[in-house]
Amino acid sequence: MEDVKAYIESGILELYVLGDISAEEKLQVEDMAAKYPEIKAEITEIERSMEFYAEEHAVEPSEHLRTRVLNSLVINLGDDNTFTKGITHQDDDRQYIDNQDNDNIVTLPAVRANGFYKYAFAACLTLLLISIYGLVNIYSKLQESNTLLTSLQQDKQRFANQVNLMDNQLDMYRDTTYKVLRLKGMPKTPTAAMILAWNAVSKKVMVDVQSIKLPKNDAQHQYQLWALVNGKPVDMGVFDAPATDTAGVKEMRSIASAAGFAVTLEPMGGSVNPTMDQMVVIGTF
Amino acid sequence: MSPKRKISLSEEELVLALQNREKIAVEALYDMYSASLFGVISRIITDEATAEDVLQETFVKIWHSFSGYSAEKGRLFTWMVNVARNLAIDKVRSKDFKNQSKNHELENNVTFIDEQKNTVYKPELVGIRDLVSTLKPEQRSILDLVYFKGYTHVEAADELGIPLGTIKTRLRMAILQLRKHFN
Repeated sequence: MEDVKAYIESGILELYVLGDISAEEKLQVEDMAAKYPEIKAEITEIERSMEFYAEEHAVEPSEHLRTRVLNSLVINLGDDNTFTKGITHQDDDRQYIDNQDNDNIVTLPAVRANGFYKYAFAACLTLLLISIYGLVNIYSKLQESNTLLTSLQQDKQRFANQVNLMDNQLDMYRDTTYKVLRLKGMPKTPTAAMILAWNAVSKKVMVDVQSIKLPKNDAQHQYQLWALVNGKPVDMGVFDAPATDTAGVKEMRSIASAAGFAVTLEPMGGSVNPTMDQMVVIGTF
Repeated sequence: MSPKRKISLSEEELVLALQNREKIAVEALYDMYSASLFGVISRIITDEATAEDVLQETFVKIWHSFSGYSAEKGRLFTWMVNVARNLAIDKVRSKDFKNQSKNHELENNVTFIDEQKNTVYKPELVGIRDLVSTLKPEQRSILDLVYFKGYTHVEAADELGIPLGTIKTRLRMAILQLRKHFN
């Protein structure tokens, strides 16, 4: 009997009623309650107290809920009578859990309207579209600029080349070691003319391309420059009549000394000896 | 069926009727226990609409798993209040409910937090004036944590910073006090 009293006073029965107890302990309490009527009576007392306590804290649910709950149960009533008669009335926690899982009531989660993400998403999408449009625009402008830049660079290069050539040309006249010689037209070609410069030190012979005023040669013929050394013509190389607006100087073969220069029209690639009747210009120092 | 007239049966009659799945049992069950169960649920879930949902779920579950109840093991209400409390606690701990709480707007939070923390004193509940004088505050707070908030006595010991043995003693003293008061 002492044991029973101690058991009651241990407080386990209160925890049992409050449902705050392990499954093992629960079985143990139920065993004890079956064995000792005092324990069973004590449990009932505790239960009644808690029941009163709950009643003291009772909150009347709103009126409409009664109908709602009863309807949901009555609707189930027909189903239950038809389908669940077979369930054995075993007091068994497993079955309780099974029933919990198997009940055909599906609780729908309350839908809480939350527009924030919807609007945020729409805003993001709009921004994205605007950005893409802007990006495409800027890209096409960039392409245009790049094309313009390339053509400007080409222009610049061309002008730089031209200036370079002009410089060379000017150098020819500035350099005092060059002797400048103006070749004049023959009676047959009175308008023909050409300027070349011969450097006695470096032996170089330069033709001022811009000054060449010779009739256009055809594809089978080229002009050939001759140096007059001791009354004999020496081959100085061939050239074509330049296109208009061509600047620069053309370097011909070098020669140590020359009394004068002459140009004849020769077959393509030049000849060994000049064709005298095809002479277009001549000049002597 | 007038909603004002409530049906009341003795516990034995009610259990028998429920086991026979009679329609009147459902009404009696609701009329006799809905307020007490709703009181417990409301202490756990402060949002009234959610608490009502849980009360409905509770009755559905009681009805469906009534075969799990046996009179030998205890009183009907003890079993039902456990069903209600478990459903309410599951709801509070569910992802859905937590998300919903997270979405509370800032200005509502002051009262919301107050409601959440209110484990001890709720003046709008009727009839507790006597109890306030009956139970010592420390007895009430432990009883309410375990009975209404679903704490285990281990968690309650943690929460209140009290040794486990003391918790058990106070619980027992509190319930003894209640027994004196109600008898």
